[in-house]
Amino acid sequence: MTRRDFSERDIHMALDGELPGEERVAYDSWLEASPEMKAKSVRYIADRAALRAAFAGVMDEPVPARLRQTVLGEATVRAAAWRSRWWLSAAAAVVLVAGGLAGYVAGIDGIGRGDSADDQLAEQAIAAHVIYAAEKRHAVEVPASDMEHLQTWLSNRVGLKLVAPDLMAEGFQLVGGRLLPAGHGKAAMLLYEDAKGERISLFVTAESADKAKGTYMAEQGGPEAVYWLDKGYGCAVVGSLPRERLAAVAKSAYGQLLAGLAS
Amino acid sequence: MNEKKAAILGEIPRLRRYARSLLRDRDSADDLVQDCLERALVRLDNWQTGESPRRWLFTIMHHLFIDQMRKVNRRGEAQMLPLEAGEAQAAPAEQVESIASREIVDALQAISPDRRAALVMVAIEGFSYAEAANILGVPAGTLMSRIARGREELRGLLDDSARRRSIRVVEK
Repeated sequence: MTRRDFSERDIHMALDGELPGEERVAYDSWLEASPEMKAKSVRYIADRAALRAAFAGVMDEPVPARLRQTVLGEATVRAAAWRSRWWLSAAAAVVLVAGGLAGYVAGIDGIGRGDSADDQLAEQAIAAHVIYAAEKRHAVEVPASDMEHLQTWLSNRVGLKLVAPDLMAEGFQLVGGRLLPAGHGKAAMLLYEDAKGERISLFVTAESADKAKGTYMAEQGGPEAVYWLDKGYGCAVVGSLPRERLAAVAKSAYGQLLAGLAS
Repeated sequence: MNEKKAAILGEIPRLRRYARSLLRDRDSADDLVQDCLERALVRLDNWQTGESPRRWLFTIMHHLFIDQMRKVNRRGEAQMLPLEAGEAQAAPAEQVESIASREIVDALQAISPDRRAALVMVAIEGFSYAEAANILGVPAGTLMSRIARGREELRGLLDDSARRRSIRVVEK
């Protein structure tokens, strides 16, 4: 029989099934002879069981539609489409939890075209923000003082019942809005400003078949977009705020937009 | 649907589990999986027939994870994910985590990404040392020491939190 000195390292190997079978008997008697090593082994076995149990549920969860879609989508996958945004999206992760309005969230299924409409929306929203948020006098077409007209006009043009979210609680006041082209349709842009002159914009379109959400940054250090796409509408909140603040503003805006759409 | 895509679809649950253990937050984890799938589809031709789809996909996902961790570190951000209490609470809670589960998941997030990945790969995903070393792109010796250190660190953190709990009880 093989005789060798065992060490703590062998505890890991035994646990991970890497200990050669012919050493097992000798290992077991070594372990029995050392209460300290035995205790270690017992704890590690328990920890592994706890780890497995903690993540076991994930295997039973239904595969999210967007992941199936990514694999099944027949559209060509562009190399450039790969873009890491998951580490940013955590900031926005809370946002959709509140978005359970039945009509909008239900009924999304099957295979989308996977043409990364989400990237398009975010890019358009960021482009609009970069151009118009920098404008001092011509940032908007219709000022907030003409609120009723602003909402009716944009709702009619975009084809959604648009209620400008009240972001005063987040420190942002509505400046006004404008109508923009977006893909084959139109988008409404609502511009907000805080006391320090920091601006954010809300970009809403009626076009979207995919369901997605995330955050997007066109370039390092540039403004960031938190966006959602759902059946019948897409929305992005763009700004150069600290991530948590942007996520908080976006959450508030999104909740109010959804409530407005359904009103 | 072709065979390759079918094989990829079949691996999604495992990829999600691995991503969740790396990132904890459900949406971030699924974003990571999505990035992995997108990249895999672009490189479908690189996948040799006969090669295990699991190993191939895990390798892609691990690279994405590590690249991003490095970028985040360069940007000087102490924490990559907002794991403040409020955020964690707001995560969808369809499976109610037991206290023991939450503790070990928290502890797992606290150890270094390299050790976390190595440990999870072997302890949860069931890869052999050779497979895991291959996926992570490190020598077997490095892998083993990451696993050993990772386990020690994890146990240390769990002991700490148990100690804190008992201190609280004593203080009452």
